[in-house]
Amino acid sequence: MIIPRAVRRIKEKYDHKSGPHSHLFEPYDGDEVVSLDCETTSLDVKQGEIVSIGAVKIRGRKVLSSERLDIKLKPPKSLTGDSIKIHKIRESDLAEGIDIEDALQQVLDFVGNRPILGYYVNYDIRMLDKFIRPSYGFGLPNKAIELSHVYHDIIKWKAIGGNVDLRFDTISKQLDIPMLERHTAIGDALTVALMYVRLKYGDPPEAHY
Amino acid sequence: MPDSFKMTNLPFSLLDDKEQKVLRSSLDIGYYQKGECIMTAGEEPEGVFIILKGRVGESEVVEEGEVSQEHVFVHYTNEDYFGGWSAIRGKAIHNFIAEEETICHVLPTKTLLDLMASNNLFADYFQQNLTAKTEIVQQHGKDQDMAEFMLAKVSDGLVREPLVIMEGTTIREATLLMREKKSDCLLVKRGNRYGMVTGTDLLDAVIVNEMSMDSELAEIASYRLITVKPDDYLFNALIIMTQQHIERVVVMRDAEMTGIVELTDVLSYFSSHSHVIGLRIERAQTVEDLKEAAKGLDDLIKALVSTGVKTRFVMDLLAAMNGRIIAKLFNIIIPSDMQPHVCLLVMGSEGRGEQIMKTDQDNAIIHRDGLVWPAMQETLNRFSKTLIEFGFPPCPGNIMVSNPAWVRSLGDWTKMLQDWADKCDGDAQMNLAIALDAKPVAGNPAIFKASRNWFMRHLRNNDVFFSHFAKASLEFDTPLTFFGNLKDKGELDIKKGGIFPIVHGIRSIALEYRVKPTNTFERIEALVELGQIKEKHGKDITEALSLFISLRLRQQIKRMECSDDGHDQTPNVIELQSLDKLERDLLRDALHIVKGFKKHLELRYHLGG
Repeated sequence: MIIPRAVRRIKEKYDHKSGPHSHLFEPYDGDEVVSLDCETTSLDVKQGEIVSIGAVKIRGRKVLSSERLDIKLKPPKSLTGDSIKIHKIRESDLAEGIDIEDALQQVLDFVGNRPILGYYVNYDIRMLDKFIRPSYGFGLPNKAIELSHVYHDIIKWKAIGGNVDLRFDTISKQLDIPMLERHTAIGDALTVALMYVRLKYGDPPEAHY
Repeated sequence: MPDSFKMTNLPFSLLDDKEQKVLRSSLDIGYYQKGECIMTAGEEPEGVFIILKGRVGESEVVEEGEVSQEHVFVHYTNEDYFGGWSAIRGKAIHNFIAEEETICHVLPTKTLLDLMASNNLFADYFQQNLTAKTEIVQQHGKDQDMAEFMLAKVSDGLVREPLVIMEGTTIREATLLMREKKSDCLLVKRGNRYGMVTGTDLLDAVIVNEMSMDSELAEIASYRLITVKPDDYLFNALIIMTQQHIERVVVMRDAEMTGIVELTDVLSYFSSHSHVIGLRIERAQTVEDLKEAAKGLDDLIKALVSTGVKTRFVMDLLAAMNGRIIAKLFNIIIPSDMQPHVCLLVMGSEGRGEQIMKTDQDNAIIHRDGLVWPAMQETLNRFSKTLIEFGFPPCPGNIMVSNPAWVRSLGDWTKMLQDWADKCDGDAQMNLAIALDAKPVAGNPAIFKASRNWFMRHLRNNDVFFSHFAKASLEFDTPLTFFGNLKDKGELDIKKGGIFPIVHGIRSIALEYRVKPTNTFERIEALVELGQIKEKHGKDITEALSLFISLRLRQQIKRMECSDDGHDQTPNVIELQSLDKLERDLLRDALHIVKGFKKHLELRYHLGG
């Protein structure tokens, strides 16, 4: 049965009101955001498994790269040729990875109830939910901020008619943000964080669409 | 930050693996909008900022009457760091303002101090710059930046009021007066001219020349005064003193004397080691002493460039220093009875005074016709070898005194120039171009002057020659596209594209009008004065050339620091990515000036086609 996420979240909040994770369901009132990215073995949530997780906090206009999460997981079974080509993580690179259970605990501790920022963030959240739900009984309740929406909302006033190009590389180019290590989790998380800060506090990009 | 932070840059490359890890894990990234204040003077800074992308200006608010004005000393761009001093002092000294959108890594003060405590070299690097700065602050009692200090003008409080006496004063009276005023030097006014007398002059007059105490002081004064203008850079005064071996220069505003500047004052003012090196060169008695002194030059240049001193002044200073080193070595190696009969020339960029880092030695010897000195070649070989040991690389074209082809008698030398001028083939033209930039640095300059004057007379009205000679400056295309943008995306050979056409074109015109200075900037000034180049064009070309040279120098220093052996394999390459937008625009404009200048040469020498 497919239950809308919002409804499910209310239920889960109610269920865990007095549990050890109740703080995750509190509404957030600080000025921090967590930029998060997962590298996975597939773009299909059902088949994919997480290879690495990167997350970094943003406080105001500062990307706190000193407070970050850079987790490598034990090699999953589905680590095969195709995805290796993209993120260039081989099985041997993950030899020192940690178990998914430990990783999830670290993610929950790190993120807390802060909003989660990402590029196609729903994919990352659903991916994490897939593993969180069986052991914790809830999905990530955090508010999600989609970078491409933030970008779109600012850009659409400048674009006439047509569609806005929301490709990652295009956004990074338009915002003139250097791409730090594309296709590593922490690198993408940092790049997204910088783009977010740039969009939030900088002038809208002067560009031709 | 894993990769975006470059650990290979100084001073961070001094840290060991463990310390680098500590550094990495404590870095934050800050984003600043254009015009935003990253650090405000007087406030506690967050730490050291290392620019990932963008441009930051360090400035101070100068109160001038009612109006307060931002006075920018230094710009920082990609990979530069700033705020080191502020972080250590716990208080920002200046305003640091983002001049365009800027992304910085922030290294918190605490981590910086921890790293400085654990790594001596790292601490030294930060403090080395600091001690120099701190000294200056103590001298001036207020915060002042190194760069500004290096650009101090003569009039900035160093001019002493001279002791002026009238004609008719006797040596005895003058000596008493000098003792009373505790002065070592005075000026005698004779008619409307001034003459200088120093303590040494008085001693010489009375003891050596046995003049009477009552003789006229005006008799022993020297009237050939070396002067500077009040708005000259103090730097220039120092260069003049180094070149002329004098300890005082007179400051003249137009025709009016305003005071004197003493070497000791300049010395105490310049706490940097530029003069210390000069003194060490001067004092060197043996080749070893001299070698030690020469070693300091590269560091000096780096220090000057990194503090933002104008490249042209660095070039002047370095040319003076290198000239002194070579001349001193000449004095040590060449027997003193032979020195009046030979003249040592430096040629090419060194002769023009336009080299920055030590470049190949291009030198030659002209000796008197019929000189008998059997051991000459052997001595000269030793001379070249010693220069190589000093870090002047050998010339790939073997244009140095160890090659007998460049050791000529006056007659042979002029004959050689004449042959080259008649030949017009590539090698001959190149040799001629090098030889025409020759400048005497040691020995008897009269020999050189004789050959130069003869050659300039010889070429008079030889239009065919000038046409041929100037043509070489059109040999390389200006690296601009049809639409006037920078041609190459990656890198660009600045020597072929910009420097050579200007230098050679100016050289051709200068030769035609028998302009004697060899420095390109001076040649341009002289040609403007002669009316051969319009003043505006002269200015443009000067600006373009300075830009090329300073861009090249910055990249050379960067590459030297990155390479293992401290040598730069590709000295003329400019990597366009490493320039910021402003610099690229400037470069493009400068190349347009080169293009225009080449057009001018084409018309002037009928080189159409």
